[in-house]
Amino acid sequence: MFKRSDESLIEKAIGGDAKAWQQLVSRYQAPLYYFGLRLLGSPDDARDLLQDVLMVLCRNLAQYRGDSSFKSWLFGIANYRAMDMLRKRKATTEFTEDHDFYDDEAPSFEQQLYGQHTQRLVQQQLRSLPPEQRLVVELRFYQQFTFDEIADQLALSSNTIKSRFYAALDKLRTQLELTDVEQSANF
Amino acid sequence: MSNSQQIFEAWLAGKITASECEQQLGQNSVQKDDPNGEWYSRFQTAQMIQRQAKAPFFAPVPEIDTMSIFAQQWQRPAKSSNWWPKLSVAFSVLALVVSLSPLEMQMQDGGLTLSWRGGQQMQQQQLETLLASYRKEQQDYVQTQLQSTQQQQASQLILLKDYLTEQQTKERRTDMLELVEYLNQQRQSDWHYWQENYQPSQARLDTSAVYNPDQQRSGVRKP
Repeated sequence: MFKRSDESLIEKAIGGDAKAWQQLVSRYQAPLYYFGLRLLGSPDDARDLLQDVLMVLCRNLAQYRGDSSFKSWLFGIANYRAMDMLRKRKATTEFTEDHDFYDDEAPSFEQQLYGQHTQRLVQQQLRSLPPEQRLVVELRFYQQFTFDEIADQLALSSNTIKSRFYAALDKLRTQLELTDVEQSANF
Repeated sequence: MSNSQQIFEAWLAGKITASECEQQLGQNSVQKDDPNGEWYSRFQTAQMIQRQAKAPFFAPVPEIDTMSIFAQQWQRPAKSSNWWPKLSVAFSVLALVVSLSPLEMQMQDGGLTLSWRGGQQMQQQQLETLLASYRKEQQDYVQTQLQSTQQQQASQLILLKDYLTEQQTKERRTDMLELVEYLNQQRQSDWHYWQENYQPSQARLDTSAVYNPDQQRSGVRKP
């Protein structure tokens, strides 16, 4: 079926087409929510982030000029808001980030056994990364942005993004190796 | 940028496959380009995270009501669909255009005809101009032809007059000759008559008066 481009939906939404706006929201609602969930670690925070980003998006829809892809522009807003939330949260209280958001819906037994376990492990390791590194890993692997796109979104140089990314990979590898050692010791 | 980093980034960008990347990074580890296997380890970690990123995520997405803010921000009250003012303006503009332009609307036999005012007059004027031009051209031609004919006639008349004069002269001469001849013939005839009728009688009367050409007394001379 013919899929309307983001630009076309934005144009129609600016013209007052509620259906186009709904279609645009439903297209990016899940990616934004999962982005918040992985980055912030809390369903409530992820929900707040989603709501916040959608409100900002709605108000600033006409400011999208098409210089980059709409997804990149949208995640630029989401990155800023998410980092802002992380900063505020760090300032108030130390968040444990041990929310388990994988138990709500389990579609298969196999996923429960293997997928969720590994996902949870990786997510735990990702949450242990500094927010800046976590954000870069999230944007590179989960949102499939290039280093240049991430650099544009965060208003940083591409080399800075790469160094954060490689530092994150090195740290994750160390942590995963330590986890393996601990699990082997438990057995 | 090291060769291993280039290979790793090529894999991230999707330019080479994971197996190609693994193979090339493995070779670099052996060839001392990446002695500690740093890039190979990064590749393995990245591959693991990438696998996890591609795995489906099943947490339910909360419903956020954005319609109210959208309606407030972007939706405008529906415009009134009263067409009468627009129609009125449109007809006014049309009337203005019709009155200012040479456009002419005529209703005739139940039909509406649109035409440009003065079009017929213009055509008539053009036709008259053309006819006047044609008339003048024809007049000039006739005049020329007339002059030519008159000149031709004059020259032919002169020729005819010369001819007639010549012929008349000739005829007059001929007549004169004929007259002279006639007179001569008449004299000849008179002589013969005299010779036949009067000479013998005279001879009888006067034998001496026989015709003698040398005798001048009779007073008659042989022609």
